[in-house]
Amino acid sequence: MKARKILAVSLTAAMTLALAACGGSSSSSDKGASSKESSSDKVYKIGICQQLEHAALDEATKGFEEACEEKFGKDNVKFDLQNGQGEQANCATIVNNFVADNDDLILANATTALQCAAAATSTIPILGTSVTDYATALDISDWTGATGMNISGTCDLAPIDEQEAMLKELVPDAKTVGILYCSAEPNSAYQAKKFEEALDKDGIKYKEYTAADSNEIQSVVTSAVDDCDAIYIPTDNTMAANTEIINNICLPAKVPVIAGEQGICSGCGIATLSISYYDIGYRAGEMAYEILVEGKDISTMEIESAPKVTKMYNKTICDELGITVPDDYEAIEE
Amino acid sequence: MYLAALDPMALVRALPGNVAQGIIWGIMALGVYITFRILDFADLTVDGSLATGGAVAVMLIRGGMNPALALLFAFLAGMAAGFVTGILHTFFGIPGILASILTQIGLYSVNLGIMGKSNQAVNVMQYKLVASLRYVTGEGSELFFVKLIVAALILIAIIYWFFGTELGASIRATGCNPQMASAQGINTGFTKVLALMISNGLVGLSGGIYAQYQGAADVNMGRGAIVIGLAAVIISEVIFGKFCAGRKAAFAFTLGAIFIGAIIYYIVIALVLWLKMPSDYMKLFSAVVVACFLAVPYMKGKYFTKKRRTA
Repeated sequence: MKARKILAVSLTAAMTLALAACGGSSSSSDKGASSKESSSDKVYKIGICQQLEHAALDEATKGFEEACEEKFGKDNVKFDLQNGQGEQANCATIVNNFVADNDDLILANATTALQCAAAATSTIPILGTSVTDYATALDISDWTGATGMNISGTCDLAPIDEQEAMLKELVPDAKTVGILYCSAEPNSAYQAKKFEEALDKDGIKYKEYTAADSNEIQSVVTSAVDDCDAIYIPTDNTMAANTEIINNICLPAKVPVIAGEQGICSGCGIATLSISYYDIGYRAGEMAYEILVEGKDISTMEIESAPKVTKMYNKTICDELGITVPDDYEAIEE
Repeated sequence: MYLAALDPMALVRALPGNVAQGIIWGIMALGVYITFRILDFADLTVDGSLATGGAVAVMLIRGGMNPALALLFAFLAGMAAGFVTGILHTFFGIPGILASILTQIGLYSVNLGIMGKSNQAVNVMQYKLVASLRYVTGEGSELFFVKLIVAALILIAIIYWFFGTELGASIRATGCNPQMASAQGINTGFTKVLALMISNGLVGLSGGIYAQYQGAADVNMGRGAIVIGLAAVIISEVIFGKFCAGRKAAFAFTLGAIFIGAIIYYIVIALVLWLKMPSDYMKLFSAVVVACFLAVPYMKGKYFTKKRRTA
């Protein structure tokens, strides 16, 4: 009986192991090859923890990897790219593996990934990207621009006051602005607050509309278009995934939407101040080189924002609403 | 070549972190065990009450409370969540699974309200947290593990004692056969509410510890918790079911096995990561593993036991 039990358990283990090996072999063999051919130079091991699959986060990771390959040389850097699949417990497991592996640097892509990495190590340098507000995410009360610990990185925020100026420029007679975001996203709440401060300065009224998840968007937007003559949506992942719903309500109601990023704008907005996630990922990659090779002190490196912003507009929706766009705006290509 | 790229030592080095995570989630799995196995109640409140415990603990710590004391309130907050599910089920007659889903949905707003926003951080540098990913490596890590294990043992002892009392026995009776239990004069409505409160209290406690461990409470931190809890319970039953049965203090061994089940779950996840499997397939992999554990007892019964067993 006992022998059979052991046999059964070991068979199961073998089965699962074999399955895992099948899944992994194709994607990993090339990585192994590249590190093998590397010269005698030090090969840097960089762990990348991406919080979930998302087009913008994927871009940031891609930018980071390409910057590193360019700076360090393709053979001198080895990535361990792991995706938390949106489950927070996975982020902790992943960064724990990186620390156990003694990686040279950790890239934390998005807020929870950064928080887990910060909890996991005080020695391995951590770079964040696609994080909007480092002070809040890391609970630093006296914010000076740098974290003062083993963390730096790039943020994904386009200047909010410039976005507000853009709203005034395109919708000059707006009296009440609706601010629409998902209540689960701290980054959105932060941007909403900044946007409200800017509106306050100009004496424009505003109202917040939050949805807990995608099911609520329709009813929330419907009530927003009743009360407001313009809507602002920050870089909100939930809204970004549901621009069709928003557009189908806002366009018939003739309410223009200013969007925090290009993806949302191309779906339902009139204009946006665009940053590229590839750019901020790329910049983080350059920072990695400055830290690991040039020996810069990460604790004094300031959080950087996107190197360039572009004013962009959605031609279809602007035509439909009869909004004339100044010449310094670029049309978003379909 | 693929195998050569794997470093077995890396897996060993990752082990302490998995054990810590397993013990913390094991507390939640204890809660799941109480409703799922003892009370025979499919309770999905867990996904919400875990975050409630985390939110309460983090907000109290940020307000200046001792992180260990904050856990007591995380436990109480979890109990309150369980109470709501229990009342919805017993007093308002809503089917159990639906009652728990309603509470879970409602808790989303409650958790947002507690935190004021969706994510609140606690920095291990500023507060003396009871648990942190930071403690897993470096100085004092042994002490951290000793504390975790002692805490787990104390919880097991308390639960073992409680379910031996008359009150605890009446909960067990309710789970076994509600009609019979109420025929014996047990108020099954009361025992159900009580069991749900204890269960969710443990889940809230686990959430409070886990929020400190990962450095933040988040409104989505409970997502998928029930799956992890069930997986831990089932893995422990498959591996240690025979070992625990018929032993003196079998129930205590069963409770202990749940922690090991949770640890095994996290080791499996770490194994997936270590194998450099594309993490896009991680969920599929964990589903396959749990399915295997579920299938083993059945397959064994079908193919490995030829002759009838004698008692």
